[in-house]
Amino acid sequence: MTQTEVTKDEIMAVYPKVAETMADALGCDVADVKLDVSLIEGLDAESIDFLDMVFRLERAFKIKIPRGKIVENARGDLPEAEFEQKGIVTEKGMAQLRSYLSEIPADRFKTPMKVVDIPRLFTPETFCKLVVHAQREAPAA
Amino acid sequence: MTPDSGIAGKVAIVTGGSRGIGRAIVELLAREGADVTLFYRDQSAAAQEVVSAAQAAGSKVGSEQVDVRDSKACAAAVDRVAERAGRIDILVNNAGMIRDNQLAAMDDEDVSLVLDTNVGGVFNVTRAVVPHMIVQRAGKIINLSSVAGEKGGRGQTNYAASKGAVNAFTRALAVELAPRKITVNCVAPGVIETEMSQAVRDMAGDAVKSRILLKRYGQPEEVAYAVWFLASRYADYLTGQVISVDGGFKME
Repeated sequence: MTQTEVTKDEIMAVYPKVAETMADALGCDVADVKLDVSLIEGLDAESIDFLDMVFRLERAFKIKIPRGKIVENARGDLPEAEFEQKGIVTEKGMAQLRSYLSEIPADRFKTPMKVVDIPRLFTPETFCKLVVHAQREAPAA
Repeated sequence: MTPDSGIAGKVAIVTGGSRGIGRAIVELLAREGADVTLFYRDQSAAAQEVVSAAQAAGSKVGSEQVDVRDSKACAAAVDRVAERAGRIDILVNNAGMIRDNQLAAMDDEDVSLVLDTNVGGVFNVTRAVVPHMIVQRAGKIINLSSVAGEKGGRGQTNYAASKGAVNAFTRALAVELAPRKITVNCVAPGVIETEMSQAVRDMAGDAVKSRILLKRYGQPEEVAYAVWFLASRYADYLTGQVISVDGGFKME
């Protein structure tokens, strides 16, 4: 499924609420939830925090976010075998990731990248995009 | 002075709550002041009776007709409870069934019905409840296992496998949810005087009793008190455990 590019305006429209929700989930100051901070490296998020954030965002925005599917979404239409081999993201996979996570600076995409390390790239902006996509799929009543 | 168990005002779901051990758990938690919703599959008259009796006694008990094998129905019912009550504090996965037979004589349904209900049901309801507890950063999940999960019993491969799975599920989920202060434990009853165990008791008679150190069958309330303890704040420091309530059942 190809998704239309999310605009900066769309991101900025949801960002304040996303930041507030993430600060609640992570127990940090909302000012620390900068749009481009790595959630794992910058804000010490753990895997359960990602679930927590998704659940809170669902409530806050009255949307449904596919659970545990962020990496799958990032893979897009690319078959798994072409996206990764033996747990390492392929060249084609890296191109797909760069395009899906277009908000993330190029120097953060270190190769070889393990599939399990993909969440290290995620930032609040990644979640803003998830929210925008979810809103587009099921506009709030 | 009795200290406060912390159960009053808590929102609880008890699956398989219309009869037997489940009913005793519903009644005990409700009596302690919890807001309890019991899930039942097809015993609507029995469920209604539990609800009416509890309400007459001034307790807060409601019911939802849910087949725990149906994940979508579980998610919808759990969300209705959360929507109404605003949170979910206690989940008691009690719904379960037996279809005893020698393994070689079991048909597909004997296997799937028991595994889908006893294991699949625990997955379905817990999966729906956990998001609420993660956000709350609190919760008590109590799974009803069985002595059969750890000790061999003739004609119980399906049931034993399902309860062994519940024990393993409990330990794994306890690890996963500990960072959010959610505890996950099991109560493993022995032979309890309920409708479900009637056939076992009839068939085995005194042979089973002789293997119970206390020489008697248990009562549903005796299991309910263990669940009550795990649901209370007294068990805040207890997770990933299987508590046996079996009168001292000896291995075969």
